[in-house]
Amino acid sequence: MKIAVCIKRVPDMETRFRIAASGTAVDEAGLKYDLSDFDGYAVETALQLNEKQGPGETVVISLGPDVVQEQLRKALSMGAERAVQLKADRVPTDGLSIARALAAELKDGGYDLIFFGRQAVDSANATVGPMVAEMLGLPCATAVSSLDISSGRGTARRDLEGAAEIVDFALPAVVTIDEGMPRARYPSLKGIMAAKKKPLEVRAAQLGDESLTLEKMELPPERAAGRIVGEGPGAVAELVRLLHTEAKVL
Amino acid sequence: MRIENAVFLIVLLLAAGFFSYNVQRLLSYLSIALPDDRGGHPLVRLKNVITVAFLQKKILRDPVAGPMHALIFWGFCVLTAGTIELLLHGSFPAFSYDFLPTSLYQFYSISQDLFGALVLGAVAFAFYRRLVLHPERLEGDNLEHSDALIILGAIAGLMVTMFGVNAIELALDPESITRAKPLSFALSMPLRGLPIGLLNGAHAVFWWAHALLVLAFLNFLPYSKHLHIVSSIPNVYFSNSQGPGPKGVIRFLDLEAENVEQFGAADVDQMTWKDLLDGYTCTECGRCTSVCPAHLTGKVLSPRKIIIDTRRRLMEKAPLLLGDYSELAHHALVHGEGDEGSTSATAILEHRLLDNFITEEELWQCTTCRACIQECPVGIEHLDHIVDMRRNLVLMESRFPPEVLPTFESMERNGSPWAFRPDDRAKWAEGMDIPTMAELVERGESPEILFWVGCMGSFDDRSKKISVAFARILQAAGVPFAILGQEETCNGDPARRMGNEYLYQTLAKQNIETLTRYDVKTIVTFCPHCFHQIGNEYPQLGGNYEVIHHSTYIERLLEAGRVPFDTDAGKTLTMAYHDSCYLGRYNDVYDAPRETLRRALPIVTMVEPERTRDRGMCCGAGGGRMFMEETQGKRINVERAEQLLATGADMLAVACPFCMTMISDGVKAKDSEVPVFDISEVVASRLRA
Ligand SMILES: Cc1cc2nc3c(=O)[nH]c(=O)nc-3n(C[C@H](O)[C@H](O)[C@H](O)COP(=O)(O)OP(=O)(O)OC[C@H]3O[C@@H](n4cnc5c(N)ncnc54)[C@H](O)[C@@H]3O)c2cc1C
Ligand code: SF4
Ligand code: SF4
Repeated sequence: MKIAVCIKRVPDMETRFRIAASGTAVDEAGLKYDLSDFDGYAVETALQLNEKQGPGETVVISLGPDVVQEQLRKALSMGAERAVQLKADRVPTDGLSIARALAAELKDGGYDLIFFGRQAVDSANATVGPMVAEMLGLPCATAVSSLDISSGRGTARRDLEGAAEIVDFALPAVVTIDEGMPRARYPSLKGIMAAKKKPLEVRAAQLGDESLTLEKMELPPERAAGRIVGEGPGAVAELVRLLHTEAKVL
Repeated sequence: MRIENAVFLIVLLLAAGFFSYNVQRLLSYLSIALPDDRGGHPLVRLKNVITVAFLQKKILRDPVAGPMHALIFWGFCVLTAGTIELLLHGSFPAFSYDFLPTSLYQFYSISQDLFGALVLGAVAFAFYRRLVLHPERLEGDNLEHSDALIILGAIAGLMVTMFGVNAIELALDPESITRAKPLSFALSMPLRGLPIGLLNGAHAVFWWAHALLVLAFLNFLPYSKHLHIVSSIPNVYFSNSQGPGPKGVIRFLDLEAENVEQFGAADVDQMTWKDLLDGYTCTECGRCTSVCPAHLTGKVLSPRKIIIDTRRRLMEKAPLLLGDYSELAHHALVHGEGDEGSTSATAILEHRLLDNFITEEELWQCTTCRACIQECPVGIEHLDHIVDMRRNLVLMESRFPPEVLPTFESMERNGSPWAFRPDDRAKWAEGMDIPTMAELVERGESPEILFWVGCMGSFDDRSKKISVAFARILQAAGVPFAILGQEETCNGDPARRMGNEYLYQTLAKQNIETLTRYDVKTIVTFCPHCFHQIGNEYPQLGGNYEVIHHSTYIERLLEAGRVPFDTDAGKTLTMAYHDSCYLGRYNDVYDAPRETLRRALPIVTMVEPERTRDRGMCCGAGGGRMFMEETQGKRINVERAEQLLATGADMLAVACPFCMTMISDGVKAKDSEVPVFDISEVVASRLRA
């Protein structure tokens, strides 16, 4: 099968972020970047599908400046065959513009499946996948936690709050990948070496106009440090008193 | 030349020819291996041969089997002179050593007799030990016991026939110069006066039996574990286990080499010739396995099996690679394993050492404690095999226990094995007025030492207290020092020991870049893993620093009287110190931590656990085991804690943050209240306020 996986470069979410001087972006100094977690699952899912179902091709696509090549190379070192960078000075805030550029790239690719992460772990919009599906006129299964592909059809499980849905669709289709899918494999050195020789094409992203702009970014309010009331049963009375008088939750 | 001399000469030449054919064959198998530079430092290597091989230093670590083997070995060295005389005499009857000065010849004669008797006694004991005592370390790993019994029987036969020949010669000619042989002479007494024809006939029988036994023995060697008689001397010579250079340094892997597509080893032709020579040399004595912490706690790993499997695999694969298919039949004959199909050439070539002989599970159980290497009497380096196969697993196949994935990823992203924020690295030092290198450089100063804190000391709550204690000692002693703060990252040791050489080199290069930027000369650290890695392994990547472990550094400060103590001499305490593998067996630091404790607490009584110093047992954390689940058998740290608690000590002392975690957890698991402290905490507790 020919599978495209759209991957996004995101900062390590464990970092203590600072807002840049512009006030509309995070300060990039000292940030470590990786694939968005769900996108890692998506690459892994694609690779396993092709490993299981015989000859196929996994193509990874990322939109952004040249640094996104790092993440593309990582996906190649995991085992993807080919990579495409849709070159842009920065990743737009507007998911619609990203979706437009991705759809233009994907349209004539002849893909059986197009994978997205359920959401990017940084911007958390969960919109790019569904919008691309809409533009390409393809069925779209979102937040999929298990997937079966056979004879031109897909069956996917979507874990919801308190319930699960099983959906069925015809290929080609767009699927956004959630937890529950296999974790991204650790690239072997052999894979890393092989990735250096795999094709990575660079094309200008056809973004179009942005319909949404970022006005301001701010940090969440600081949380006060926790307090240890005491240890053992002796501390219970004091804890209850504080929960009642100070926290006012009892 | 009489006819039997001629016959013997032909037999001798045939036997020698067959032996040299086999030696050739075994040497040719080494040609499938990778190169390894083991030259250089001939004097150190010769010294190792003298102490380890000739003086049997390691063999003698076993108080029972040690003297037994040493006697047989020394006996062999002495008796070989007699064997040569006998063989030459058989071909050229005129030949004998009697051209030697009489006193020397007499000395030689006496030594033959004496060692003949000693060897016979030792062989008798060896039989008794194998057949009656059944020592535990000679069991397991599918050993072929018949091998040892054949050899012991042959040695006994050699001694008996030697005495037979000598006694009969003396019975025939009591005035012969060989009468200096006391035992043979005594044995000859009852034979005197027997018909000469009978004596002559018996002499011929004993002589031929002895001579043929020698030749058979020689030719049996290449087919048995007794090949070590031939290969152990070169193996000890080429072994790095006793130096030259620091011990336990892992082979450098050039990741940028052109045209290299295999990293690590999955099979014998991806190993070095020294690894394969290890295989030839293993005597199957089990000394290694008997001290292995994984084996002792009921896990499948047996270092002996790793080496024997290397040999078994070499014997079946090398001939095929060299185009010799006749070995196939031999292999099927000797090992008798599998059905006909499984010994076909294709099946053998499809197999490999990893998975078909040695499982992933075995490899991941190793704590890299070096106990096996320390104990091996013939210079075998098990860790080269284990780490090289781990390298293949990680670098080629991305196979490792699932819980290791977050460890690798954190090391990559956060520069420590845990998902802590790198910005919090120096949090332990807040309010202590400890400068970072960057701050000092800004002020135009440079410190006397760099205190390398390590990931445990930076992030682990218990170990952070050690960082504070050590920093307080340095401050009290007035040592100008700095830390790297956020610029420090993991030294890479866990990654390297787990086979992830790529990640290791990335981290190590980054640290070397930082250390070079600050022109650091002297580093002090309380983590033996950082200590070993930066001091002994960074030189492979061009990082050369003087690295001192805090035990040594504090001892020096105490010796120089630079640490201001309270007048209180401290309570009387009974203390047991647990040796860290990377401090002890890797770096021979045994006395500094003990001396530090003694100086800090003048009335302390040190007690030693049964396994101590170079025989100390691992806490279970090394080799990346800290980050893996321990699912099989008893927990190593609990076993070690029991050993330490059995000393009855009031307090346990360690000199490694990993040991701290493991031993504390082990003590807790035993519901014991005995406290565990780092040596620096003991010293800091006595600092003048
Ligand atoms: C009920 C609920 C619970 C939630 N719980 C959590 C929680 O537990 N934890 C949490 O972190 N958030 C949580 N959220 C946040 C929420 O998921 C997000 O607001 C949103 O769903 C995710 O949007 P997104 O920005 O990831 O989507 P998009 O930005 O549209 O990204 C989706 C996918 O599009 C592709 N893509 C995007 N950009 C590019 C690019 N430049 N190049 C190539 N491909 C690209 C990738 O495949 C990506 O995975 C929760 C939200 C809800 C409603
Ligand atoms: S290094 Fe230690 S754990 Fe590993 S095999 Fe040798 S003795 Fe066993
Ligand atoms: S490796 Fe060394 S210690 Fe272990 S069985 Fe072989 S010879 Fe003995």
